[in-house]
Amino acid sequence: MIEINNLVKHYGDKKAVNDISFTVNDDEVLGFLGPNGAGKSTTMNIITGYLSSTSGTVKVNGHDILEEPELAKKDIGYLPELPPLYLDMTVLEYLNFICDLKQVKRSERKEQLAKIIAMVKIVDVADRLIGNLSKGYKQRVGIAQALVGNPSILILDEPTVGLDPNQIIEIRKLIRTLAKDHSVIISSHILSEIQEVCDRVVIINKGRVAAIDTISDLSRRLSGSSKLLLSFKGDAKKGINAVRAIPGVSDCKIRISDQDIHESEVTIQSDLATDVRTSIFYAMSKNNLPILEFRSLDPTLEEIFLSITGS
Amino acid sequence: MFAVFKREFLSYFRSPVGYVAIALFSFLSGYIFINNFSSGSVNIASEVISMRSFFVVIVPIITMGSFAEDKKRGTEILYYTTPVDLFSVVFGKFLAAFALYMIMFVNIIVHMIVTKSCNGIVGIGDWGSIIVFFFLAALFISIGLLASAITDSQIISAIACFIIIIFIQLISTISALVGNTISAFLAVIGVSSESANSIGTAIVNGMNWLDPFTKTADFRYGVFSVSPLIFCVSFAIVFMFLTFRILEKKRWAKS
Repeated sequence: MIEINNLVKHYGDKKAVNDISFTVNDDEVLGFLGPNGAGKSTTMNIITGYLSSTSGTVKVNGHDILEEPELAKKDIGYLPELPPLYLDMTVLEYLNFICDLKQVKRSERKEQLAKIIAMVKIVDVADRLIGNLSKGYKQRVGIAQALVGNPSILILDEPTVGLDPNQIIEIRKLIRTLAKDHSVIISSHILSEIQEVCDRVVIINKGRVAAIDTISDLSRRLSGSSKLLLSFKGDAKKGINAVRAIPGVSDCKIRISDQDIHESEVTIQSDLATDVRTSIFYAMSKNNLPILEFRSLDPTLEEIFLSITGS
Repeated sequence: MFAVFKREFLSYFRSPVGYVAIALFSFLSGYIFINNFSSGSVNIASEVISMRSFFVVIVPIITMGSFAEDKKRGTEILYYTTPVDLFSVVFGKFLAAFALYMIMFVNIIVHMIVTKSCNGIVGIGDWGSIIVFFFLAALFISIGLLASAITDSQIISAIACFIIIIFIQLISTISALVGNTISAFLAVIGVSSESANSIGTAIVNGMNWLDPFTKTADFRYGVFSVSPLIFCVSFAIVFMFLTFRILEKKRWAKS
């Protein structure tokens, strides 16, 4: 568990982080979002002990990162934006070096490394020089490095940046596996990724926390009502009248109406409390208007993000 | 500390740096030895002392990457985010560079063995200059580490280290120059020549106090004393401590 309280970091006159507080629970995946320069990396660097905060505290499993750095750092595995790799070492040499730094007992080392290497799938390249590996493999070695010492908390700063779609899917799978027995903080620009792997998101903007919530709650909170998109065969007006008659529907507007092929598309707004989808289905059926497409238009994380960060 | 030492030491041999330094040292010491040997009078002490003047080239080559490279590659973050002590990182890197010097020194040992086996003399003065060699190496390596910690460019680090070492090697010449200039200036502005000279001499002495070469000059004659060695060790510790402080200060960076 990580408790972050009133974290402030000044860079000269500029406040890079301005009074940030949040908690990361055990075995939770927390997404960390924000536009460039919002203070994401600075916050992560402070949590991991790389930078010191101007004021505020970070407690890792009850240990303050400044007062008990050794105990706190033992519980954290960190993958910075640029993986800290020594290109002139082989993967195994490098991971052994990390074991030395993290003071992993010699008796446990072999077993632990074998497990990590198998988990991040770098068995084939274990004896190759890191400098000769592809970007995807380098990123995996970076994750392996974070896993050494069996930390209970993983902090991953943009773990899939610069990877190809296949590699992104694999790393995402790996993160999901890791999430089973680790607390994970992920920062990323790829919002679909956050949506897919995270339980909660913290959105920060200009050094402040703009929102902390689960993605579904955030989207509901932002829209205030739920939106549906309906496309059907038949006259638009007839459809609209049928939908408007349903209790709970607050609005229904034409989006597209194509007279030639006799198809229409409408957007429906309904109260949050009532689920109008079944009633719409029956109403359309009753009026002999076959449904072609019917889906929810709740804001995606992209929209939430843009609306909160105001860009 | 041992982990850092091992990594750094082996990294000298994963890149050309270690080989270049050893080759340079072997070539220069070999050249001096063969020259002496062919003229029939081998003097290990003077060979070792000549080799000291190449500190100015070899130390920057060895130490320029120590911290600068870590900063550039982003690997320094490992030292801040793992439970390792920053001073032990500095000391580990220092030991690695020092160990490389010991390997280079094998050349001199071979020369000593050859000298001995040809019925040459390896006397107490030779051992004296060898002791001084290592203490000065420690001092200069710590300066090199400091130069490497202040920048993320290896070139700037090497140049800074080069300038500092050359300054120390020329300290007696520079002090004489500064002292003479000041006493001449004082004489011009009307200070009596006696006091102008004494002020000049005081400045020369003050600056010369910083010169490790003059301090340790007597070792080659077999006259040993502890204070010059303590001088070298204490300055080496001061420079390592400064390096440590610079690394630690990064955490509190204001920009």
